Amino acid sequence: MNGRSYAVPVPKGYRVGLWEVREPLASGAFGSVYAARRVDDGGETEAGAAEETAADGGAGPLPRHAALKFLPTGTRTPRQLHHLRELAHREQELLKRLRSPRLIRMYEALTVDDPQHPELDGATVLVLERAEGSLAALLDRSATPESGPALLAQICEGLHQLHHAGWVHGDLKPANVLLMKDGSARLADFNLAAEMEGTHAYAPAFSTPDYTPPELLWSEISERGQQIRPTADIWAFGVLAHLVLTGAFPLPGGTTEARCDAAVRYARGAEELRLSSGLPPDWREIITGCLASTHEERAARYPDTASLLRRVEQVAGTTRSPRLPRLRPRRWLRPALATGLAAAVLALAATVTYAMRDDGPTYGYHRCPFRSVCFFSEEFGMGEMCSWKGDDADWLSGEETCMWTRDRPVKSIFNNGDESMGLAGVAYYRGRDFTPVGEDITRKNSRNRTGCTAQRAQGNLTGTYAPLSHRWIEHCGDGASD
Amino acid sequence: MYSVIVVPPRGTGSDDQIRLSAGERLAFGRSETGNGLAIAHEGVSRIAGEITAHRAFWILSNLSQGQTYVVENPEGAGEHIKVAPGRLDAPVSFEFSRVVLPAAGELLSFDVWAPRHTYRSATRPGLSGATTAQAFSLDRTKRYFAVLAALCEPRLRGAPHAPPPTVDQLVERLRHTWPAANRSSVYWNIDYLAVKLRLRPAPETAEPGPRLYGKKESLVSLALRFDLVREDDLVVLAAVPSEVAR
Repeated sequence: MNGRSYAVPVPKGYRVGLWEVREPLASGAFGSVYAARRVDDGGETEAGAAEETAADGGAGPLPRHAALKFLPTGTRTPRQLHHLRELAHREQELLKRLRSPRLIRMYEALTVDDPQHPELDGATVLVLERAEGSLAALLDRSATPESGPALLAQICEGLHQLHHAGWVHGDLKPANVLLMKDGSARLADFNLAAEMEGTHAYAPAFSTPDYTPPELLWSEISERGQQIRPTADIWAFGVLAHLVLTGAFPLPGGTTEARCDAAVRYARGAEELRLSSGLPPDWREIITGCLASTHEERAARYPDTASLLRRVEQVAGTTRSPRLPRLRPRRWLRPALATGLAAAVLALAATVTYAMRDDGPTYGYHRCPFRSVCFFSEEFGMGEMCSWKGDDADWLSGEETCMWTRDRPVKSIFNNGDESMGLAGVAYYRGRDFTPVGEDITRKNSRNRTGCTAQRAQGNLTGTYAPLSHRWIEHCGDGASD
Repeated sequence: MYSVIVVPPRGTGSDDQIRLSAGERLAFGRSETGNGLAIAHEGVSRIAGEITAHRAFWILSNLSQGQTYVVENPEGAGEHIKVAPGRLDAPVSFEFSRVVLPAAGELLSFDVWAPRHTYRSATRPGLSGATTAQAFSLDRTKRYFAVLAALCEPRLRGAPHAPPPTVDQLVERLRHTWPAANRSSVYWNIDYLAVKLRLRPAPETAEPGPRLYGKKESLVSLALRFDLVREDDLVVLAAVPSEVAR
């Protein structure tokens, strides 16, 4: 933004965990990537002690060489790099949870603990699979590489894997496609990736304009960020395919601004899409579908990324990729994590912090984080869960929301607090701002609340209402629960 | 997807802002033909001119017989451009503009905003490919930025739950650097910021309640979440010594 660079200078030979930093590989909008090699001396590291945050048991053996991505999340500049922390968190979260052959692999995530180097102290370091280069670098050498169609099929496969798992990339472009030693492509740079919540995901308000669909160019932005859908990646894929196959952007113009302008005119219907005449007919059909001017048309053309992938693989003449197992069975599979992630991302200037668990339980009361209160959409702690560490005056808006309660009642609750909090009960109300609504106003308990649950109490709720606000109180009064 | 907003003059019956997308044209003049902007005054030509949104800026054609139009930058300390009669497609580079038309001894005016002016960082060496850019671009020299900084100030100064300042507090805070600040100009800037940052109206705005409070609150959340204003930006609120000590 406005000339501020987030490049992180790291001296050669610097040690982070088991890794020794070598030469710089790239510097992007949000951080810097360095080559690194593993040092297995087992001894004390002099500088750059690090604490591991990934806690990922399934990472397997570490390779000898890796790429370290430094994200400047340090505390040297308090309250200043909030969004960078969020972006670092997004990437780390996605890589921790998704492992697919066409997505770059993360081995571990570290946090630099080095007060001697305040500019590095607190930085997030993602230890990633080492790639040979990027598609952008390949296109610099050869505008229309011979391997183009095969690479496009692999990129599309990566998108499919991502979408299939319920994520949107949000920043697909040549610089974010990495090429491995064997020449295969993998998607990387998930700082803008967002997990789907129903039909939308909320992405940070960043984009690369040349790859941004017209409906997002100047779209409205809410406090949660920008709403994006998988069709945004489909548009970006269309732009990228045109670039790889013809060496030029699909929309006319000598500058990014001119091309965005052309995209807007095209979306308004004021101008037709004129793709390069050098495009083979099959690819022209694919790219025309990807570059349909609205989300609806793109969604109609390719109802899911699998249908696009089938067509791309057909045209590229590559073998069909295997059918993916269902990764995201039902909406309730990881709601605890999803809610936690969204809330952590949104916990702007709030005292709440969310415990992130890599492989916690996905159902039942026990997924409720310690020192939190959790509300569930089904009895016995099943179904979707919303959890809070603090109070919330409005569940349906503000920095933390619990959107399923808009049309579904809360069926069970767990107050997973402990003595250290000094507040033993959680009172909940049917109105915003801890106010009663409807029959609660004349409720006999004279406290005008819908209910109150004492510390460590859990149980099912009767009735078919959803509270709209809750707060921690000293105690519920008579009885453990009402 | 609009890039230019035309604000009709007050008292012309149309209070609706007209939003133009890139390539769209808007004629203005005395006659009310089509979707143009009608300026009902005898001294204005029937078809006085035309505004075309072009990328993030706009171009003005003066279609009058003999009147020179002036486009002022209201925040630009007298900065203006003149568009001679018959001149077509004169580019206007101001974010805020007031188009002044002389008409039989009177001066009529309407405003045009170009909230999509883009600012991008210079290309950094060693970086191939297109840069990921933030969706917002704010001009730090504009008054709206000072208003946004003043809105965010309590939280940036270390009170994370502080409510945003009231409009009166904002006027007071901004007075050092902007002596003419008043309630309505501050309100105007808050509204403009909501347009500029493309703030999605909060779902609860339909309900009774302090609406402006919600807007200020949303602006602060958005600005802090995306680091649009940081602690070091608060210098825009610092008083500039008006006199040099001799």
